[in-house]
Amino acid sequence: MAESFTLRVCFRKMGRLRHLSHLEVARACERAARRAALPYAVSAGFTPRMRIAFGPALPVGTAGEREYMDLVLTRFLPPAEACAALASVTVEELSPVACAYVSGKERSLAAALTIAEYDVHLEGGISHEGLERRIHAFMRTGTLSVEHKGKQKVYDLAEALPKEPMVVSCEDRVLIRMAVRMSERGSLRPDVFVAAALGPEVHVAVTRTDLLIEDQGVWRRPL
Amino acid sequence: MYEAAAPEDLWSRVEPLLARVERPARYIDREWGAVVPPAADYRVALMYPDAYEVGMANQALQVLAGRLSTLPEVAVERVFVPWTDMAAALRQADVPLFTLESCVPVASCDLLGVTLPYELTYTNVLEALDLARIPLRASDRREGDPLVVAGGPSVHNPEPMAPFFDAMLIGDGEDAVIELVDTHRAVTGRGGSRSEVLQALAEVSGVYVPSLYERAKGGLRPRAGAPARVRRRVVADLSAYESPICPVVPYADVVHDRVTVEVLRGCSRGCRFCQAGMVYRPVRERRADDVVRDAIASLRCTGYEEVSLTSLSTADHSQLEEVLRRLTRRLEGTGIAISVPSLRVDSFTLSLARLLGEGRKSGLTFAPEAGSQRLRDVINKNVTEDELLATTRAAFASGWRRVKLYFMLGLPTETDEDVAAIGGLVARVMQAAREATPKDERGAVRVAVSVSTFVPKAHTPFQWAGQLPTAEVLRRQRVLRDSMPRKGVELSWHDAEVSFLEAVLARGDRRVADGIEAAWRSGAVFDAWTERFSHSRWREAFAAVGIEPSAIAFEPFEPGATLPWAHIDSGLAEPFLLLEWERAQAGHTTPDCTFEACTGCGVCGALGADIVLAGGERHG
Repeated sequence: MAESFTLRVCFRKMGRLRHLSHLEVARACERAARRAALPYAVSAGFTPRMRIAFGPALPVGTAGEREYMDLVLTRFLPPAEACAALASVTVEELSPVACAYVSGKERSLAAALTIAEYDVHLEGGISHEGLERRIHAFMRTGTLSVEHKGKQKVYDLAEALPKEPMVVSCEDRVLIRMAVRMSERGSLRPDVFVAAALGPEVHVAVTRTDLLIEDQGVWRRPL
Repeated sequence: MYEAAAPEDLWSRVEPLLARVERPARYIDREWGAVVPPAADYRVALMYPDAYEVGMANQALQVLAGRLSTLPEVAVERVFVPWTDMAAALRQADVPLFTLESCVPVASCDLLGVTLPYELTYTNVLEALDLARIPLRASDRREGDPLVVAGGPSVHNPEPMAPFFDAMLIGDGEDAVIELVDTHRAVTGRGGSRSEVLQALAEVSGVYVPSLYERAKGGLRPRAGAPARVRRRVVADLSAYESPICPVVPYADVVHDRVTVEVLRGCSRGCRFCQAGMVYRPVRERRADDVVRDAIASLRCTGYEEVSLTSLSTADHSQLEEVLRRLTRRLEGTGIAISVPSLRVDSFTLSLARLLGEGRKSGLTFAPEAGSQRLRDVINKNVTEDELLATTRAAFASGWRRVKLYFMLGLPTETDEDVAAIGGLVARVMQAAREATPKDERGAVRVAVSVSTFVPKAHTPFQWAGQLPTAEVLRRQRVLRDSMPRKGVELSWHDAEVSFLEAVLARGDRRVADGIEAAWRSGAVFDAWTERFSHSRWREAFAAVGIEPSAIAFEPFEPGATLPWAHIDSGLAEPFLLLEWERAQAGHTTPDCTFEACTGCGVCGALGADIVLAGGERHG
């Protein structure tokens, strides 16, 4: 088999482009790789495809500051060069943050990334006052039952949220900072949690700020 | 003149609506290749009258945007029709229709250009005008309203939509849009009124100003200054115009999501039902060098995974094999596919099959249109069964496992024998396909059969024919179904009721506009979307305004009668069309002038154009 190099790209999905779906982001990233003329590898078979893999999907409407994809290249290109090439063919709202090579034997992003950190911005001038108390009171209820496509799913809050959510005031806005554990059984959506804790009338804008690998209790970035 | 305030950026009012609608990527702009419009004196909104994912495929608007943006102080933006959920959200939040790039009200633009791709988009135009808060009818528009101009294939019978447009541009737009904008700016620049603008536009070649024509005995009568007939515009040489190299690359999943390179315009095969084959004459090919250069440059600029060589009949291009050989070599190992739509059975050669079969295989579609040789001669589809079978063998031997065949029901002179012959032909195609396929792969062999209903179109030899009454179409569909082999065949139909509406909208005169407006007022929009189309809504709308649609669709026109589109001069000589209509009924075929002698259609002489063959000649 020919030599290959797995380039891990950290990218952002911001601004208006947070309204893109995961599939739309994936397709846009593939096209960016072609525009950047990166020496991407192509799968064998009847319909050859670019060898590219993504981290956990980001829902429509949610922004991401550090999202990831792994792109297999057929020859070595200095990571800074690859990153600059991608940056030159992407719009700011969906653009690379950092690039580095990882071992081809590394676990896939989808399997390795098990912790997601979020900032949930509360819209409509909600004050800091009493928020922490309400969040903590909700955490103490222990579980959250969510209906998804007609099925009930029950989350153990202590398991689903490995850190106690924090209320942070940022300029004149308030946000809830939280970490969510992702597993094969899915993960609790932060907007669903906030709606359950504070009521469905609260409008939120969600940003995934980081995706992390949990390694024997220690969290680290995949790059 | 007064200094207009900068139009309001609506984004902060649009964005909160996005959480409530499907596919917000339709409304957010910021795609790769989207141009931030400059501050400009003159703003143009170009609209495709359907949802984003349909309209983004349209190349004509990309070409026109490219042309207009070369003008100083002109900004060009895109507009599509919001899907029903977004339309409801906009109305509820009291937000007007906006342009994509700078998110300003469409009504704040100087010009709204709309392409009319086919009849079923007509209600979408009214929906967009209403959302934009532009009066639906040109007669109700005031000085501050944008000039609303149509173009595209359906303007060849402009009448059903004529009251909704200030002007309609007939034919190739490359040069005409520039003249149109220049004229508009010149007249408003010297303080001219809206009616002065319209008078001036009527003098631009190819521009039809409906309000300057009034109904009179024997058709429409032009007022002073308007030409008796509006002559179609045609550009002589496509090589003189840049093809859009860096089009906008959508995020959303859109139809024809790929690089498209126009390889030629026009087709003179002379199929007698085909409007495009009549009104885009003469054939003008682009050179192989230009096609390859543009395809490679556009792939590089967009990052697409597929390039499509488009035209009415791509395999007729005199240098197609050279183009394919060069592109295949350049794209080796990239995973990028080359697709060639609109192939003809008789020009899909074995070497073409091999060339196309090397890379990723895209779909293979042929259009025999009729099942019997007799009827294929009537419609002048000069394709034989032997050619179809030979082509099928070549394709399946080169690795294809599926072929799609288009047929039409209700063609003039059609009998039950012709209908049943479709089933027999499909059976023999299936057999040929299986024989050309290795034994262990024969289970995968598929023949898709798509059957539409004949809709008589303006400026074709069949323009005098009426459509077959719908009940009879339904009966013939049953005859066809009974004749069709089952195994490996995927049979699909066009809804006969939809084809009926198409005929009404394609053959009608200006009175039909009232029916279109009534249908839209009762909720008709996105009629081309099967789940949205309501046959009864249209019937009721026509009844409410006193229109008998069956008469419009089914009644033939007498040769010599004044047709609703008589004031539109497509360049085709009426005696040629009549002769073709007579030859059809006698079952006589007519050759293609790009392979044989001139057939006397009249276009080249009337429009001052000529056939352009990149390779010098075509080989039959």
